[in-house]
Amino acid sequence: MTAIELRNVSRWYGNVVAVNDVTMTIGPGVTGLLGPNGAGKSTILHMIAGFLQPSRGELVVGSRPSWQNPAIYRRLGLVPERDSVYAFLTGEQFVLATAKLHELADPGAAALRAIAMTDMADAAGRRVATYSKGMRQRIKVAAALVHDPEIILLDEPFNGMDPRQRIHMMELLGKLGAEGRVILFSSHVLEEVERLSGTIQVMVAGRLAASGDFRAIRRLMTSRPHVFLIRSSDDRRLAAALIGRPEVAAVELGPAGLQVRTSDFGAFCAQIAVLARDSGIRLRELLPTDESLESVFGYLIAN
Amino acid sequence: MDPSHAPPAASEAPPAHVIDAPVIETRALTMIYPGDVTALDGLTVDFAPGVTGLVGANGAGKSTLIKILLGLLTPARGRAAVLGRDCATEGQRIRTLIGYMPEHDCLPADVSATEFVTHMGRMSGLPATAARERAAESLRHVGLHEERYRQVGTYSTGMKQRVKLAQALVGDPRLLLLDEPTNGLDPAGRRAMLELIARIGAEFGISIVVASHLLGEIERICDHLVAIEGGRLLRADTISSFTQASQTLVIEVEDGTAALRDELSRRGLAARTYQRSLLVPVGGGDVYDVVRDSVAALGLPLSRMEQRRHQIEELFRDDVEAADAR
Repeated sequence: MTAIELRNVSRWYGNVVAVNDVTMTIGPGVTGLLGPNGAGKSTILHMIAGFLQPSRGELVVGSRPSWQNPAIYRRLGLVPERDSVYAFLTGEQFVLATAKLHELADPGAAALRAIAMTDMADAAGRRVATYSKGMRQRIKVAAALVHDPEIILLDEPFNGMDPRQRIHMMELLGKLGAEGRVILFSSHVLEEVERLSGTIQVMVAGRLAASGDFRAIRRLMTSRPHVFLIRSSDDRRLAAALIGRPEVAAVELGPAGLQVRTSDFGAFCAQIAVLARDSGIRLRELLPTDESLESVFGYLIAN
Repeated sequence: MDPSHAPPAASEAPPAHVIDAPVIETRALTMIYPGDVTALDGLTVDFAPGVTGLVGANGAGKSTLIKILLGLLTPARGRAAVLGRDCATEGQRIRTLIGYMPEHDCLPADVSATEFVTHMGRMSGLPATAARERAAESLRHVGLHEERYRQVGTYSTGMKQRVKLAQALVGDPRLLLLDEPTNGLDPAGRRAMLELIARIGAEFGISIVVASHLLGEIERICDHLVAIEGGRLLRADTISSFTQASQTLVIEVEDGTAALRDELSRRGLAARTYQRSLLVPVGGGDVYDVVRDSVAALGLPLSRMEQRRHQIEELFRDDVEAADAR
């Protein structure tokens, strides 16, 4: 089942084009929505959530447009970036009110379940006004999860969370994604996106710059040579063997080891162990240096 | 000037004890707010010179500690000193020596960055001309050029963070306290801010304390880490002591992970799958050759092989993965 689909979607505010002709499909599992400030991430999330009408194009959730379609809220939960929590309520009252608005059969039990999932049981009796930013984030997530939605949209969910809360939220989103739910979240912290999900949608200046698994995206950037660091029992001899290979473009011998540039990631990886074995050289370390999501993102922004 | 603090002759390096003296010391520092809320509970810690990361859960007492160090709060018990000066009695003097970048949005919208930073320079005690010069210099350092004549209200989040950093630098501080300096920044903005902080630490030789929830950032730019929890010290040490290599080898192949695991086990190596990786305990050097030969025999594409490093995050984890990494 395809959960969210955008076909040639644009959205403008007066003369400002926030989202420009974007086509994307988001299926089950966890997907990271990335991009610089002002790239159109929040506009995309708000259109998917049915708060904004696309100026052009088609946007469906399930198989129906989300605009002017309140029925989707039975299946969709949204965690907005802004602090949209009533400070005078306790955390539990807030989540319970959300459960009642959804007309759930047993709102009390649903609220308790959502509060437990976000690890907020201890603080649920306190007024939201007394919460730290990380706690306000988590109670917003609890409210978004209260009706057990299949689709969950989160705008910067990790903002303000401390290290323990981040670990917990990452595990929770990972678990929800593994259950086959559709999780789409925006974030600026690329290390966390990389750990949570390899699947990304990257927006740059209103356009979709790349989508899919970031490692696969990296492989497609053939104009950017891949750089590996290698430490071995005999770096000089390994360097000599490497430079004889057609896929190796350059080898630099330094005190920390070998730096190898290759234009063909696949061929290099397939050969390196064989080459070392046949030369009788012990490989101690093989490190790809620009395969991280941060490198990939940097390249996408630079293009 | 106090003669005991006279600067050394230009040809001499400062004596070692001056270099190594902690920039911040707290001893049994305790803070209790009205309603019996304990924010700090006997915190004893030294911050060494250099760049130090300050981490802790929300509510661990970070903000309270910063307010006490700035001399804005009086602790219930214990004492704190900044650059050798007591926070309870010399708060005003300390504030002239510290540059402070608050976490929250605190900039007036209707003045230009130049006017604002100049004003903050005046407030830190600089004469008018010097304040104007220092303001121009600080703004240049943080990378604000033509924009500095525009009203702050029109700035992006990244530009506002830079103005906050510039006003912390304007009084020529000996210590910077930065509270969540990358908050709200996008990846490029974060990277620029981190590079800026690292450069200020290295080029100006100013000691810096960076409070952050992002352990990856701290690992990248800090020399030391102070972790507090529940108002107490969790651990204080050098970053490298948190990220030492463990006795586990991480192996990644582009495909055939399961086949490689079976082959390794056939050759007597117990490999464990973790996400996309295989983890193998490093017994002796032979392990490297067994891995190399297994990969070569199966003809698999090997994309990573390294000794796993400990992570700062393990401080905050109590589950299996962290235990296994040890």
